[in-house]
Amino acid sequence: MTTATASSEILRPPLVEGGKTYGQITDDICAPMEKRPPLGWFVAFTVAGLALLWGVIMVTDLIWTGVGTWGLNKTVSWGFAITDFVFWVGIGHAGTLISAILLLFRQKWRTAINRSAEAMTIFAVMCAGLNPLLHMGRIWRGLYWLFPYYPNTMGPLFVNFRSPLLWDVFAVSTYLTISLLFWYMGLLPDLATAAAHAKGAIRRFIFRTLSLGWSGSARTWRNHEKASLLLAGLATPLVLSVHTVVSMDFACAIVPGWHSTIFPPFFVAGAIFSGFAMVLTLLTLSREFLGFKDYITLKHIDAMAKVTLLTSMIVSMAYLTETLIGWYSANTFERFYFINAATGPYRYCYWTQMLCNVVAPQFFWFKKFRRSPVVAFIISIFINIGMWLERFNIIVIGLHRDFLTSSWTMYHPTYVDWGLLIGLFGLFFTCFLLFSRSLPMIAMSEIKHVLSSEKHGEKQHA
Amino acid sequence: MSSLKEKKIETALKTGLTRGDFLKTMGVGLAALGGACDWRWPHAKAVPEIDRPEGVTPGVARWQASTCGGCSASCGALVKIRDGRPIKMEGLKKHPLSQGGLCARGQATLLDLYDSGRLKDPLINGKKVSWADWDKTLSAKIKSLSGKAVRLVTQTLPNPSLNAAIAEFLNAHPSVKHIVYDPISSSSILDAHQKTHGKRVLPHYQFSKAKAIVGFDADFLGTWISPVEFASDWAKGRVPTSGSPKMSRHIHFEPRVSLTGSNADLRVPIKPSEEYSTVASVAIRLARILGTAVPHVGEVSTTASSESLDQAAQILAEHKKESLVVSGSSDLSVQILVNWMNSVLGNYGSTLDIQKPSLVRSGSETAMDEFVKEAVAGKIAGVIFIEANPVYDHPLGEKLAKALSKIDLTVSLANRLDETASHASFVAADSHPLESWGDAEPVPGVITIVQPAIRPLFNSRPAMETLLALAGKTQSAYDFVRGYWKSHVFPKQKSSHNFDHFWDESLESGVASYEAPSLPHSSFSSVALAGIKNSRSKAKEGEFEFVSYAPINLYDGHQAFNPWLEELPDPVTRVSWENYVQFSPTDAKRLGIIEGRMVRVTSGKQSFEIPAQIQLGMPEGVVAAALGYGRITADDIAANYPITKIKFFPIEIAKLHTANVYPFLNSSLVSIAAGEEIHPLAKIQSYDFQRDPYLQDKRHALREETLEEYAKNASGGGTSSGSNSGDGLWDKHEYPGHKWAMSVDLNRCSGCAACVIACQAENNIPTVGKSEVRKSRDMYWIRIDRYYSGSETNAPENPTVAFQPMTCQQCDNAPCETVCPVAATTHSSEGINMQTYNRCVGTRYCENNCPYKVRRFNWFDYDRDDAVQDLVLNPDVTVRQRGVMEKCNFCYQRIRDVEITSQIENRKIHDGEVQPACVQSCPTQALVFGDINDSNSQVASKAVSTRVYRALDDLGVKPSIYYQTKVRNVKS
Repeated sequence: MTTATASSEILRPPLVEGGKTYGQITDDICAPMEKRPPLGWFVAFTVAGLALLWGVIMVTDLIWTGVGTWGLNKTVSWGFAITDFVFWVGIGHAGTLISAILLLFRQKWRTAINRSAEAMTIFAVMCAGLNPLLHMGRIWRGLYWLFPYYPNTMGPLFVNFRSPLLWDVFAVSTYLTISLLFWYMGLLPDLATAAAHAKGAIRRFIFRTLSLGWSGSARTWRNHEKASLLLAGLATPLVLSVHTVVSMDFACAIVPGWHSTIFPPFFVAGAIFSGFAMVLTLLTLSREFLGFKDYITLKHIDAMAKVTLLTSMIVSMAYLTETLIGWYSANTFERFYFINAATGPYRYCYWTQMLCNVVAPQFFWFKKFRRSPVVAFIISIFINIGMWLERFNIIVIGLHRDFLTSSWTMYHPTYVDWGLLIGLFGLFFTCFLLFSRSLPMIAMSEIKHVLSSEKHGEKQHA
Repeated sequence: MSSLKEKKIETALKTGLTRGDFLKTMGVGLAALGGACDWRWPHAKAVPEIDRPEGVTPGVARWQASTCGGCSASCGALVKIRDGRPIKMEGLKKHPLSQGGLCARGQATLLDLYDSGRLKDPLINGKKVSWADWDKTLSAKIKSLSGKAVRLVTQTLPNPSLNAAIAEFLNAHPSVKHIVYDPISSSSILDAHQKTHGKRVLPHYQFSKAKAIVGFDADFLGTWISPVEFASDWAKGRVPTSGSPKMSRHIHFEPRVSLTGSNADLRVPIKPSEEYSTVASVAIRLARILGTAVPHVGEVSTTASSESLDQAAQILAEHKKESLVVSGSSDLSVQILVNWMNSVLGNYGSTLDIQKPSLVRSGSETAMDEFVKEAVAGKIAGVIFIEANPVYDHPLGEKLAKALSKIDLTVSLANRLDETASHASFVAADSHPLESWGDAEPVPGVITIVQPAIRPLFNSRPAMETLLALAGKTQSAYDFVRGYWKSHVFPKQKSSHNFDHFWDESLESGVASYEAPSLPHSSFSSVALAGIKNSRSKAKEGEFEFVSYAPINLYDGHQAFNPWLEELPDPVTRVSWENYVQFSPTDAKRLGIIEGRMVRVTSGKQSFEIPAQIQLGMPEGVVAAALGYGRITADDIAANYPITKIKFFPIEIAKLHTANVYPFLNSSLVSIAAGEEIHPLAKIQSYDFQRDPYLQDKRHALREETLEEYAKNASGGGTSSGSNSGDGLWDKHEYPGHKWAMSVDLNRCSGCAACVIACQAENNIPTVGKSEVRKSRDMYWIRIDRYYSGSETNAPENPTVAFQPMTCQQCDNAPCETVCPVAATTHSSEGINMQTYNRCVGTRYCENNCPYKVRRFNWFDYDRDDAVQDLVLNPDVTVRQRGVMEKCNFCYQRIRDVEITSQIENRKIHDGEVQPACVQSCPTQALVFGDINDSNSQVASKAVSTRVYRALDDLGVKPSIYYQTKVRNVKS
């Protein structure tokens, strides 16, 4: 044990910098919840809130007036909403990957980022889930028919289990449930700590209640560990399944450019890719503005950049394979899809996607860039844009010129389309900013857990 | 007891509420609140008729034979009446001329009936009056003008009873002179026959007998004279016969791209100034082949290739007495030459009948011009317009409008306060043909009944009654028509000896035939050939030759307020809602004009400005624009902004940029100035080719081949049509009873869009307005795709054009069915892909997955606020809510109707008994519908014909629509 700790100290830099004590950790992490936030937070919150407000207005218009306020038409029936849906579901994946899979793999570096990554997952899945609802022609009927506990009172017909959209309903709602449970389970010890640390009685009461009477006893800890492990086990297949199901919305259709067996792995890789990019965006910002530099270290950024690079290459490989198979199929519709994507009216979207997803992450081959928060931030933004465009391109380029040339059209998003996109970002960041002020953003208990082994080693040496 | 109760209440009031009372009150309040939340549809009570008319059952449709009042062609119509209101116009099978078809405009006259902008009362100087006052005042006024120049202006009225009423009126007022003009005139044909055959007649063309057709700018499949009859006849020769296949040959020379030219085997673009030369060149070649004397035609020069001219002469010469030369030219010399050709070919008496000539055009341009001149000169004391609107549809309309204010008496019998009626001091609200009695005789011996399908909606009166009242012989139109038939028609017919019997029979069938006396035979007089010459001059530098034409949707413009027709796209340009200046791509490039750029067309002092449209196949140096537009602005027609009332944020309302082109009807040369503004056109189809722009691969949705190829491999357009893509994942559907299917013969289909309007009327399809069409959100369940040969990047100057009706293919392995999460679209046991509106939540997944893109989504709640217009709705078909997907279901309500009838009568359904709206209306019988499980059915035989294929069959979707490959009679 001693030698192992010692060697790990030699080989690996500490996960928490600055030689913190437990008390300091609690103080540091509770600080954003208790102190008046910096001006930057207010600015960010105002911007996010306005974006959300704009989104709410646009969605009201959408529901009040009709889906026709979007730029869709008889040929391109899916546009921004489904693009946003796939994008946000994808974002969610990184959180689950970090918290579940990395937990199972005992990757200790995850402790600093898993809380916010999980929060990100939940907010992202919320944003995602709104899209299929809002894009329905009759949202007031949608809930009614889509959840299959209801229909039998309305007649003999059940929902259509052949439809990938129905699978989506199951996949996404399961995903949201598990993610929420997992996140809350992890929060319990920290909520108790926050309650203990809190000054005011109301605050203490709220946190105490939320912590479900956490006592910190060995039995509680044991149950907690076991439950976390179980949930991690449950959540792990979801990382693969959710985006697999989402990809089937496309793969099961006959639209050229959609109808492709590569889609499930391609979408999962893309999801992790875009999710990690979003985590990078959020963490580079929060370590800068919330003073978590000692916890979210350059090592974290480095590790995430590596995952990003790996998934970027998987995605690039998928692009290549897809294009090759398109040519190899000798199917005129398939071939046309790729040529149209690269040289057709949406070629700028296509090449931007390639630049963002294939070229931009290549900078992460260099350690210098991997360890530069600024570079990581910029590249993460590129990837966010690129991955959004990837979904847009699949959906719109596939649809706008499909089988019958007589029905070819263009899709031009309207201000209501953009309103939804902006509103969803507003919702996401509003939630995230509120989260950063109201709940411990870093898993204190787990950090301390990681720290304990390091401290333990020090003591023994002493 | 009650006083005790009162006391208790009083006490309660005094002492405040008891606990029990409080609970009661709260309970009531909550119940009321609950009740208020429980929103229900407004209630309406159905009251049974106390005195029910015989044979009328509420909810059961009645069918009534009548005559279409859309244009003077007077096709036979069958009117569907449900609960007292006509809801559909269909073709009348028994009509010997129209033969069961009815064109888009004819069917849309139904919506004209329910136009809330119609005149609702008679007016004097703009004030509402009673009919009695109107008659009295006007009669006195007319009397006071006796001896002075009074004119009665009408269009051609092939209506014997109405003409008799006019005769009564003219008898009563001898100083009145009757002037007949036609906005879309055939004056030159009439005048030419006056010269060549000594009779001012319009031949009755018989395309069914013609094996070779050469047309010079005569759009006989679209708008020329009697298009339904002509299309029906033309189609008969267009189907390749079995054995060594033969079909008619059709060559068309024209200065724009018409529907007829598009359907021709060979289309040759020529300039209007070359028309004479082209006709003369064909005539010279024909004379040489036939060995007759070559007419003296003067100098000729045409850009039409000598090959095409040779071919035209050749096919005509090969088919003496079985050929037909037609021209829509307004040039007398051209028409004389055409007559000469038909004469030397012996076509008179075979494909052209001038002994029983057509009666649908008799207008004289010279007489009308004379009248306008007199009116301008102030020589006219009074004028009466009957259903005529020359201020709008005469080239000198503007002058006439000014002159009208100086005329002492101006009367207009009109159905709306149109351009002419608004200048008239006496305006009579005219009834719609569906509200009136009348008759029509388009060809001598074929006489049809016009009978009302509904009482007049407004305080209107048929023109016939108005005329009779003014003649002092007040009589109902019914009595007058019946009387006329008794005295004039009954004696000539031989089928019946009892008039009442004859009358009832005629009412039932809608048509009566009698042996009309033939005009004396007359032959071509060569004297007419003397002095023929080319009268149209060529364009000078910077000028363009101008062509105006009647479009398929709005025709002469009298139906311009009809939203169905406004939205109906032109079959060739695929543009709806507006007219536009058509340019050839070369000219457009030279002038730097892009589609939608506003263009000012000037001739002399007159000019108009409308958007440009670039049209492949337009001859260089020629521009064309459609008549019939310029009557409405965006605000005049609610259908252009069907969704404004429910907006939250403003929704784009597209302005209409249209212009009246009638002032340019006789202008041959114009100058063009490109404007700055760009107003994109509302095009229903935005890509024109079957080949994609990058790979140049042809997508075989529409297959075509030449007659030679067809003769070689009579197996459908090249590739095999058998589905070879496996059986799929799911169990196959079983069709134990009927299995409905349709065959679409691309050789018969002319692309006239009658089916589109039929479908719109039958299935309550909304019009969506220009801005929505521009966003590709038209709602048509059936559309007619138009493809040019070539591709976007490799477009030929003069492409061949092909039309393909496209509607839901009712796939047996439908991609839309599997993807709907709520099972709103399901497969019926009769092979129909059903759409359950109630279940649909509008995910639009089905629309994405439909390879034919025939599903339509209700993007908004489309406007149904015009209560009068809503009377047109078919109660058998749901009006869809916003957010719901809809599409063709083979008119399932009509199938059920026949199924129920056959069950009641305990018999099988006959083949051809079920007819979806599109099939019923098709003038060329290109669509055939039936039960493919019945091996004796027509559609079952079509499904195994030598030309059959199914669109995009290799996707494995197993469509139920069987297309018949288009075969062109050209040398490959």
